[in-house]
Amino acid sequence: MTATIDYNALSDDAFRAMVREFVETRYPEGVPRFAQHRVHWDEVKPWYFVQSAKGWICPTWPQEFGGMGLNAAKHLILIEEYERFGCARVNDIGPVMLGPLLIRHGTPEQQAHYLPRILSGQDVWAQGYSEPGAGSDLAAVRCSAERVGDEWVINGQKTWCTLGMDANWIFILARTDKSVKKQAGISFLLVPMDAPGVTVRPIRNLEMLEEFAEVFLDDVRVPADHIVGPVNGGWTVAKALLGHERVFIGAPRLSASALSRLKAMAQRTGAWDDPVFRDTYAGLQCDLHDLADLFETYVERLKTGAPIGADVASLKIFQSELYQRIAGVMMEVTGEESGHSHPFPGDSRQHAAGAWLAARPTTIFGGSTEIMRNMLAKAVLGLPG
Amino acid sequence: MIGFDLLELTDTQQMIVESTRAVVPGDGSLDRVRGLRFAAPGFDRAMMAVVAENGWPLLRVAESDGGLGLGVTEWCTLMRVLGAALVPEPVLSTVLAGALLGAALPDTVLAGETVLVTAWQDRDNGLDWTGGACAEGLTGAKRHVPGVAGADLFAVVTGQGLAVVPRDAGGLTIAQAETLDGGASGTLSFDATPAAFLPLPDVPALLDEATLAQSAYLLGISERALQITLDYLKVREQFGKPIGSFQALQHRATEMTVQLDLLRAAIFATARRIDAGASALQRMRDVSRCKRRAADLALHVAGEAVQMHGAMGITDEADIGLFVRKAMVEANILGSARVHRARFVSLLEEAAA
Repeated sequence: MTATIDYNALSDDAFRAMVREFVETRYPEGVPRFAQHRVHWDEVKPWYFVQSAKGWICPTWPQEFGGMGLNAAKHLILIEEYERFGCARVNDIGPVMLGPLLIRHGTPEQQAHYLPRILSGQDVWAQGYSEPGAGSDLAAVRCSAERVGDEWVINGQKTWCTLGMDANWIFILARTDKSVKKQAGISFLLVPMDAPGVTVRPIRNLEMLEEFAEVFLDDVRVPADHIVGPVNGGWTVAKALLGHERVFIGAPRLSASALSRLKAMAQRTGAWDDPVFRDTYAGLQCDLHDLADLFETYVERLKTGAPIGADVASLKIFQSELYQRIAGVMMEVTGEESGHSHPFPGDSRQHAAGAWLAARPTTIFGGSTEIMRNMLAKAVLGLPG
Repeated sequence: MIGFDLLELTDTQQMIVESTRAVVPGDGSLDRVRGLRFAAPGFDRAMMAVVAENGWPLLRVAESDGGLGLGVTEWCTLMRVLGAALVPEPVLSTVLAGALLGAALPDTVLAGETVLVTAWQDRDNGLDWTGGACAEGLTGAKRHVPGVAGADLFAVVTGQGLAVVPRDAGGLTIAQAETLDGGASGTLSFDATPAAFLPLPDVPALLDEATLAQSAYLLGISERALQITLDYLKVREQFGKPIGSFQALQHRATEMTVQLDLLRAAIFATARRIDAGASALQRMRDVSRCKRRAADLALHVAGEAVQMHGAMGITDEADIGLFVRKAMVEANILGSARVHRARFVSLLEEAAA
């Protein structure tokens, strides 16, 4: 059984070789590689099932729950090798978000029911946090859940649900008490997407792709036990997910990949031989390496189990802004062509506009740059509120 | 202080920090620094005896040559603390001289009797160091020698070898210029100055190490300047509340934090790589990007600090001004941000290979 291997005990090189061999031999035909956008479930599920069969779909879960039990350093190697091969990102909200949350806050019954269904790919989850009126101010959620008999009756709207149209389950933050401070009246509920009253509508983004959905809930009824954590304890449950994820959001890989694409564009257009471009490019490369050094300090902290503080916001801010600056230079290097919809039908990696648009959400989601700066100002610099 | 908690100090680095207590006042007072400005030699020669007592000239000298055998990481740790305290003594230049000379470091320097600084630079805002030797000894000029007004000895770096010359050496004339921080730097001009050349160590490597240490000195300056500015933002009230509660100022302050986090990580990662035996190419690329950010950031923080202090920021009375004038001097020593960006560009093709 692969699940009994102590991956963390392997040398980094041995583990890397194992991952490399896995992707090179088992990555399914027909699943896109080096996709510049999210791939939908219908297209990506063969890759999900291959990882599932290997016991590798949930790298960070403890082994007793069916995960690989990887520490942060080994997890990073896994990510690097997947990136190197250009593996498509699967619908990973179950493995990355809900699973760890249930392992920490779920009942034994919830763990026994939901975790195997994530591991097998039977359930594909969506996240229902944001609402039209609750974005950066997430605690202002208005979607309500009322206890009627043995059921919760849910009414409201969720939005920016990544790949929400692919999911058969959604977890939501719902208001269960309107009379208390806004953070204190929120519960964490699990809702099947096929329940009567659930409507999903895709949102087309600036790239003309349907990566998000909005979800309407009209008198949706779920059993009373579809709650994780205590009633009105949902805010604490949801916040527990932050922390380590922020380190990975700040990983230099998006900027690194963008910079190598910028170089390819510059070589194609001749800008590579322009000293003005060289100066700009060198500055971006310096920034990227500085970012990588900063990222390493957090990886070290994860390795030693040291806590990740609010200062990790620096990493997220710089990574996302660097990605955008690189994409901005792509636009000037490729000139008019960057204004065309399909300048390179066969190779989206050469398309500057795609990168420019793809870089936009990185400063908005996962805590906008402005929210990150508020956090740094108060929690790290100690400036008054 | 901001940032120290982000870096795990080893016992040796902790020892280095402890050893600065004789030079850096525990209460953060800048009175000594302020008092030494604009009066020759611009630093305290007696303090250089304390520097010698601490063994800092031997910091980068191998243990087999009687040195401390410490790494670049420790040098950077030291310079960061000295930068935060605006220590005006030419410690960096003395440590560099020690690293260059090794076992040939004069005893009088180790005894704290003489002050030794390094003269390596051939031209303004450049990294060339090979000039200066002739058949009779030394010729030409070495530029921007720090602590020049209080130095007794110069470690002169040439393509033919190293020479230690006293300030009264024959054919040596010294032109001093006052610097913004109230110190002085100078140009040494040689006219057939007699010199016994010592064999050259790996000068490019040692100059890069010094450049990294200079970046750490700038880091210390910037960190403390931000801290002083944050303290001011918390107490200065306008419109009935501390100005630090205004989001416009908060976000500008966080940009400095983001940049300092990057610089701190880059400097100490680079130092560790050098200590672990980085290739010359890796060392040059890493050092250049550190110096580029350190110099840019020092001037950025200086400008922001003045703005956030308002009119107080443009008085000489406010301590923040000491940091501003120091940053303006130190940012361009051992190569400006432009020089190092250009060097990084010149290494791009090799880097890509």
